[in-house]
Order: sequence, then structure tokens, then C-alpha cells
Amino acid sequence: MKKFLLFVLKTIIITIVLLMVLDLAYTKIYLQSSSRGKIDQVYSSSAQKYDVVILGSSRANNHFVSQLFEDKGLKTFNYGMSGSHLFEADLLLKLMLERKYEIKNLIIEVDLSLSNDKRADGVASKFLPYLHNSEVVREQFEQEADYNYLYYIPFYRYIKFDSQIGFREGFKTLTKEPTSLLNNQGYYPLGNKKKMKMRNDITNLKPLPHNKYYENVKLLCKKHNIRLLPIMTPMCENTKGINYFEKVKKAYPEVYNYENAVIEDKYFSSCGHMNDMGARKFTAVIINDFFKIKI
Amino acid sequence: MFFNSFAFAVFFPIVFILYWFVFNKNKSSQNLLLIIASYYFYSCWDFRFLFLLVFSTFLDYYTGIQIEKSQKETTRKFWFWLSIGVNLGFLGIFKYYNFFANSMSELLTSVGFQSSPFLLDVVLPVGISFYTFHGLSYVIDIYKKRIKAEYNFVDYSLFVSYFPLLVAGPIERATHLLPQVKVKRSFDFEKAKAGIYQFVWGLVKKVVIADTCATYANAIFDHYTSMNSLSLLLGAIYFAFQIYGDFSGYSDMALGMSKLFGIDLLKNFNYPYFSRDIAEFWRRWHISLSTWFKDYLYIPLGGSRGSKLQQVRNTFIIFVVSGFWHGANWTYLVWGFLNAVYFLPLLLLKRNRTNIENPVLSWNLESVRTIINILSTFLLSCVAWVFFRAKTVTDAVLYLKGIFTKGTFASQYLDNERYNFELLILVLAFVLVEWRYRTQVEPISGKFATLKLSVCLLAIIALGTYSDYKEFIYFQF
Repeated sequence: MKKFLLFVLKTIIITIVLLMVLDLAYTKIYLQSSSRGKIDQVYSSSAQKYDVVILGSSRANNHFVSQLFEDKGLKTFNYGMSGSHLFEADLLLKLMLERKYEIKNLIIEVDLSLSNDKRADGVASKFLPYLHNSEVVREQFEQEADYNYLYYIPFYRYIKFDSQIGFREGFKTLTKEPTSLLNNQGYYPLGNKKKMKMRNDITNLKPLPHNKYYENVKLLCKKHNIRLLPIMTPMCENTKGINYFEKVKKAYPEVYNYENAVIEDKYFSSCGHMNDMGARKFTAVIINDFFKIKI
Repeated sequence: MFFNSFAFAVFFPIVFILYWFVFNKNKSSQNLLLIIASYYFYSCWDFRFLFLLVFSTFLDYYTGIQIEKSQKETTRKFWFWLSIGVNLGFLGIFKYYNFFANSMSELLTSVGFQSSPFLLDVVLPVGISFYTFHGLSYVIDIYKKRIKAEYNFVDYSLFVSYFPLLVAGPIERATHLLPQVKVKRSFDFEKAKAGIYQFVWGLVKKVVIADTCATYANAIFDHYTSMNSLSLLLGAIYFAFQIYGDFSGYSDMALGMSKLFGIDLLKNFNYPYFSRDIAEFWRRWHISLSTWFKDYLYIPLGGSRGSKLQQVRNTFIIFVVSGFWHGANWTYLVWGFLNAVYFLPLLLLKRNRTNIENPVLSWNLESVRTIINILSTFLLSCVAWVFFRAKTVTDAVLYLKGIFTKGTFASQYLDNERYNFELLILVLAFVLVEWRYRTQVEPISGKFATLKLSVCLLAIIALGTYSDYKEFIYFQF
């Protein structure tokens, strides 16, 4: 039995060593990356100056055409991330400010995301390689239930989120395989999908009375003298529970309701996402309403 | 609680330590601990079904004794058929009732009658097909006077409920397992080490091969109508490796951990994808089930004796019943039927026992033939797996048709945000490792064992699929 226990001990030691070596190797690979996505781009950047920065989910990423802002002489980048919640928008802003970004205007898409203050694992996991290297990332995850596992168990973060930051993504990062995420100053245009009836049901969604990450963003903007433009973006007509947007307006009066800025189905790729034509129409309205002086 | 879960990683060492350090005085205390652990393990799925397991165990234990004790043939028959009837009755109610009710209803509707079947709202108890077959073989063997009834209830319960094999086999025989649980086990370092190696290799098969293949196979099968020919072909191959990695991986883990308790379980897989014909494939795939059906169905039906027509009938019965054992769906029946069709030429030409030894390759023409035979057997099994995996027979037929009609053999971006061909290197590497070590139980033991163990651990950690968690496929059977 003694021999067996030593054998088990040896196996455990091998496993721990492998976990530590892999953790170091993966982290090193991700720390050197700057072009796979918006998070690593911000992490690896130094101080930037922007007239307009856009944050939010895919409803920001697909709806604000950065080029139209640029055409008006406004240096803009769309940092909207598909599948993200306000947890990630808040953290990305903190990361920018940690890198001394100077931002004049911050457009943040706040509508559906106000209904929860949970992290979106698919996007939040992309911050995890920086957990031991960035104080703001560490602080943001500190409140999470799995923080101790993520922080202290070597390689746990890469195992738990293997489809986001596992071997495959690590390999692509190492070989610097390009993505389209940073094209068009971050804006991702959508085309028209196959003919389908546009519809959506958001009746179960309720805005939280106090979304802590949105409140964080407000405080950060105030502290850094950033003009904050919280905006609700359009959704197709055939949406059940469309009064959700009114509920948001009631809970957060400062949020601008542009849900109705674009209506017809021809401007939508799916019910929650406008196509490129819709996005351009919508962005023109936003520029006209908030950046008139520049024009 | 799955073998590859965190809960099991806590459960198993506790049982192991208690087994060898606290309950090691005699075989009764060892068995008692294993029974308690097994019942706890089973109740982690749904404690209500524990009563079913205990009832089934008690029924077979009691009827076994009554069969042995009975002097009159009629009484023996009564107890025998009572056990068979109740066991198959449970299986029928939980697994097959809704299928038959629905099929009957569809049949009536197709001939113009209106019918709305009465369906049962029941969940299939995990492992019911496996522990029912344990009990059946035990009762049949006593009835046929091949074995003596077991009078120690704890020992018998352990034979039925032993947790490494409880939910997905291998399907044990009383003649093999009961003698082992009737003696005190003492610790054997070499056996335990071999157990760890086999468990680790099983884990590689499950999390590295099966679960990774599953993400690709699912992305292809679930959207097969929009897939091109290459994707459909690859989907079938990926599923073949998914189900092999999943089930043989589970079996390896079960056999490996059982060795740690000093108990040997029946071998369930023997590198089936290196088979040179379908008969050999079925001697190497899910061996414990194949031999169960051979001993308790095929041979009683007459086996390979009698006229050709009887042999053909017996072959079709055994394969179709085997398909139906897997699940109450026409797809499994077709899968079984198709395998019988594959088997038929070998039976008629009396070539079903030609490939008994392990395949060997060298630089000659015979090896070319061996490779062609292996590849064609694998392709035939892939075709059958499409029926096994598809939701309906129509889906399976359209899937197979698509391989020939969806024209383009090009890379395609899948729903899982990966390219269809990406996994081929991993699958190929796995095949080469299996080929190299096909005469061993697992590839780790032998020379450079520590290095090979480290590589396997590295693969499990770095290449395993964890976020998209997959249950073991055979748990549903």
C-alpha cells in the first residue's frame, strides 16, 4: 500500500506541475496577444484618445456604425461585444481607464442588459488570462462565487472556459490568426438572413431597479469627466413585452429611448439586431441628436 | 455523479480509503461498504429509483433461492417466470411502453382510426437495462442449474449494484463476479497501478476524444440539412469516435477503478475499429452485451445449428433485439437490422469466425487487404451509427443520401464555430496510439510508463472538453 500511495502522490505531483506549467504558458501567450479581440486589444494598448467609445452587447456592436462618426471627424471605436452583459462593459471601461484612455463621449447600450447583473461567461472568460496581471480584472472577479477557484487553482480558468480560452483559442492566439472583430473600428455589420417572420418575446424580462455595473459606469464617467450617453436601441415591431423599454425609462430616467428610431422589418437582420442598412439609419439619428455641434 | 465529475473525484478516494483502511477486516465489511457506496452513488441520480433497484435485487435473490429449493418442476417454473416477468415488466413499463403505445396509435391512425394513446409520464431509471440483465442472467443460470443460488444477500446485492458497473456495465455474470465478492480482497500494488492507468486512459477517451468529437458531431447532425457532403461524412466519423470513446472510455474507467478494489470486471471492448469484418467487430464491441445475447438468446434459439433459414432467423433476432435493448426507437431497430444484414454474408459463407487473432501489418499484399478490410468494416459501422445517432429513420436516410448528393467536398464552418475538418488530426493520433498498443489493455503501462502517464494527463488537462459537458451516452440505456 505504501508503494501505491507513493505512486498516487507522484501522479498528483505530475498533475499539479502540468497545471502550473500550462497556466504559465497559456497566460504568456494571451498576454502577448493584441489583435484577436477587443479585450486583448485594450489590455495590450497604451493611452488612447477617443471622441466616442461605444460599449454594450451585440445590440451595440451591430447597431453603431463607427465609420459614420469618423466621417464627422469624431475618433470612434465600437467596443460592443456580442453576448456580453454590463459586467463586461463595466470591466472593459475600467481596463481602458487603467490604461489612461481619454474618452470624451461614452455611448453605452443599456436595455436588455439592465435586466441582470450577472457576468456573461462567454465574454467575461476572455478577461481571465489577465486575472493575475491586472488589478481591475482581479477586483471585478473578486465578487464572483468562483473567484477562489479561478484565482488560486492553476489552469482552472482555462479548463472551465475551454471553449473560449482553451487549447484551440490559445493556439490561434499563438499563431496570430486574424479575426474580423477589430475591423470597421469594431462595428460588425449584419446582413439579411433568410426570409423569416421577425418576432421576439421579452415579456419575462424586468429591469433591475439598481444595476450595479451600470451604476459603476455612471460613477466612472462622472469621475473621469466623460459624457455618458446611455441608449436603448431598436427592436422589431413584433416583439411581445415591448413595454420593457418603458419600464427601463421609468427606472432609469436618464436613459435615452431609441427603441422606435427604426421600425420596419426590412431594417432588421433578426428581431433584436438591425442589419447594416438599419444600423446606418439608426447611427445617423444618434449623430444628429447628440453630435450636432460637431456636424 | 459521473466518473469524470468533481463529486466523483471526492467520493471515490473516500470509498477507497475506507475500503482498505477501515473496512478491511473481512470480506463482509468490504462488501457492506461497497453496497452502501453503490446505493449512495445510485441515489445521486434519483433516490426514488433506488427502491426499484433494491426491489429488483431482492426479487432475483429470493426467486433464485426458491428455484433452487423447489423440488417440483412446476414450482421451479413458477419462480423462474415470476422473476423473468417482473424484470422484463419493469423494463417494459419504463423503457418500452410509450414507444409501443405511440407506434400502435400511429398504426391505427394510418388505417383511418382516430386514437390518442395513453402515455406514461415516467423517467427512465439510470442503468435499468444493465442491472436487469444482471438479474436475468443470474436467475436463468440457476434455473438451468449452471450455478448455485447465492444465500448471502449482501454478496448478491453487490453483484447487482456494484457501483463501477451499475449504470453502464459491463454486464457481469454471476459465474465471474460472485466468486470474487465471496472472498476477502487483499491489496495488490501492480493491479492497482494497472487500474489507475486504465482509468486515466478511459478518461482520455471520454474527455479528449468523445466529448470533443461530440461538439463536432452534434453541430453536424443537428443541422444536417445545411451540411455539405464532406461535413456529413466527417459527422458520421466523428460520431463513431464519440460513441466509441464515450462507451469504451466509461468501461475502461469502470474496470480501472474496480481493480483498485481488487475486483476484475469483464472486458467490454477490444479495439473494435480494427476489426476486419462485422463478425469480428461484434466480438470486440460491447463484448459483455454481445456474449449475453449469445448465451441467453442466440444459443437457446438454436444458434448456428439447424437449417440455414433458422440460422438467418436467429441472427436477425439477436441483432434486432440488441438494437431494441439500446432504446425504444425505430432508429435502434434499424441499426440492429442493418448489422444483421452486414453479418448475413459472413454467416452464409461460413466466414464469421475467420478473423480471430489481432490484425498484424507488414510490407506485403496481405496487409493491404487487411487495411482495406478494416476501413470497409469501419465505414459499414459508420453507416449504421448514423441510424443510431439520428432522431428518426427518415433523418438517417436523408443524412446518408446527403453524403452523395450534397456535392461539395470542402471545408465548412459549423455551428460550434469550428471547421468541419479540424478534428481529424486528433482522431488520427488517437487511432495510431490505439493501433500501436492494440495488444494491451491500455497504452500507458510498459516502458516509459511515467512519461506516457504524463502525456495522458497533459491531454486530459489541455485538450479535454469541459465547458460543453456531455453525459455518458450509454447512461440513457
